[in-house]
Amino acid sequence: MASVDIRNVRKSFGKTDVLKGISIDVDDGQFVVLVGPSGCGKSTLLRMIAGLETISGGDIKVGDDLMNAVPPKERDIAMVFQNYALYPHMTVAQNMGFSLKLKKIPKAEIRKKVEQAAEILGLTPLLERRPAQLSGGQRQRVAMGRAIVRDPKVFLFDEPLSNLDAKLRVQMRTEIKSLHQRLRTTMLYVTHDQIEALTMADVIVLMNEGRIEQAGPPLELYDLPANMFVAGFIGSPAMNFVHGRIENGAFVSTKGVTLPLGVAPEGLEGKDVVYGVRPEHLHVVTEPGVGAEAEVQIIEPAGSETQVHLTLGGDEIVGVFRERLDLAPGSTVRLTTDSAAVHLFDPESGRRHIL
Amino acid sequence: MESKKEVVFGHAILLIGALIALYPFVSIILQALTPAPGSGAEGWTLENFISAWTRGGFSRSLLNSAIVAFAVVVATAIAAMLAGYVLSVLKFEWRVAVFALLMIGLVLPSEARIIPLYNLFASTGLLNSYWALILPQIASSFPLATFWMANYYAQLPESLSEAASLDGASEFEILRHIYAPIGMSAVLTLSCLVFLFTWNEFMLALVLMPDNVAVQTAPLSLSFFAGNERTTEPQVIAAAAVLVALPVVVAYFFLQRRFMQGLLEGAVK
Repeated sequence: MASVDIRNVRKSFGKTDVLKGISIDVDDGQFVVLVGPSGCGKSTLLRMIAGLETISGGDIKVGDDLMNAVPPKERDIAMVFQNYALYPHMTVAQNMGFSLKLKKIPKAEIRKKVEQAAEILGLTPLLERRPAQLSGGQRQRVAMGRAIVRDPKVFLFDEPLSNLDAKLRVQMRTEIKSLHQRLRTTMLYVTHDQIEALTMADVIVLMNEGRIEQAGPPLELYDLPANMFVAGFIGSPAMNFVHGRIENGAFVSTKGVTLPLGVAPEGLEGKDVVYGVRPEHLHVVTEPGVGAEAEVQIIEPAGSETQVHLTLGGDEIVGVFRERLDLAPGSTVRLTTDSAAVHLFDPESGRRHIL
Repeated sequence: MESKKEVVFGHAILLIGALIALYPFVSIILQALTPAPGSGAEGWTLENFISAWTRGGFSRSLLNSAIVAFAVVVATAIAAMLAGYVLSVLKFEWRVAVFALLMIGLVLPSEARIIPLYNLFASTGLLNSYWALILPQIASSFPLATFWMANYYAQLPESLSEAASLDGASEFEILRHIYAPIGMSAVLTLSCLVFLFTWNEFMLALVLMPDNVAVQTAPLSLSFFAGNERTTEPQVIAAAAVLVALPVVVAYFFLQRRFMQGLLEGAVK
């Protein structure tokens, strides 16, 4: 086990800057998820930690050792690839024991370690099979087993669940998290799926266009997003944004709809802002004269909750309601929200105003 | 869905093609089994084969062909695996230039090389030796073989070599433990082709080992034998031709499944 210290790391492919100065401190035993849209540089960063990509600038340390020029085979880092990268001609046991065989560890000891890892992952009956004879989920477990057997300083996961179906993905998510709780090895995990990030991480690092937008515990990113990008990326359905301005201590949208606001924000009077509210923080009210009027467009019941697409003035918004509502497309409802759950953003920089 | 008409038409074309391909082969076998003039045998007979074997000295020349083909196949396969790995997996800086150089080897006709080769071997004293046949054929098989293996390895996911290097394998260990075993079907298909080319090579043998019967290969022996016997006993020559072709046919049948698999792998992956 070891900490990972990433200091002002840069990466360029020709003239294209893929990473523009990334700094992350990963504590020993922490589960850090790098998340972001496609092309944000998260996989490149992971591959640089593994030693599979060169570093254009900055430092990467594992423990106290500078890794910049250390070849992958000497880094003592294990990686689970998106396509699993199992050796097709070897059995499950041979796949898992390959690194130990290279280290010339006695066969009996390899067998013992492989069996222990297989026990943890429920692979014991499959040890003599080849990868082609396994299902996607089983292959995924073998790829993890190959990493566990080595007892590495750091585990890296590069979108390991994206080739699995939805049900298996949820199951494997839980398995990886329980594996981390059991092994307590430092893990860095790359995904583009914000649900995976929220459910698994000790710390989420949200990246965009080669920069870190925000890093912190999952609920911090959810409750206190640093900017509109973070607010829009974390949470599903995404946060609603309505453009408008602060007039007389209240928010008025560009379409002229007044929306509830708690304390009148200082220094924002008369300024353009973006009003942000999460779909689950909207409430339907029946008392006349309360809240803003919205027209129901589409209703998507999902059992435990109902997702409703609405138009507010001319702005499209989404609400998620846990109570059973008697709504029909075209009908009108009155919406209100907890003022504490409202965020105001600067429309130019995207930054969140501290209220 | 294909209509019945299309199926019948398709099969008819295949049948005609097969007949055209098989006709010379079958006719030569039938001729080899027919009694030669002056022979006392009636009906089908194997005596032409015995006669060709004893009179043509084919035991020696078939062994020579086997030695040459084996050496060329083994050396080419190993060299192509190494070079293919370097060109496709390691992606070193000068790979485009090396590929261009190999291309020259592919497009240069063998006739253009034969006089310089003769001079080279004459000056080194290797004329009329196994080396005169083995070395040029390794060199001429190498470009195609390298393309073959580089192309095969390029189709494997890059993450395989990356996973192995994270597992602690050196470049050579990655080739030895991962790429070489995975590429075995491609190597076998390649070996089959190189064996075929090498076994049937005639021009090089004719020019570079004309005077030493002890090292002459089977096609050359067949040509000399045919030259001597042409007018009198075509049945014995046919038998000799079957003897010379037999190892290639046997090798193909043994490796047929692997051969087809190797040819198709590149197409469907």
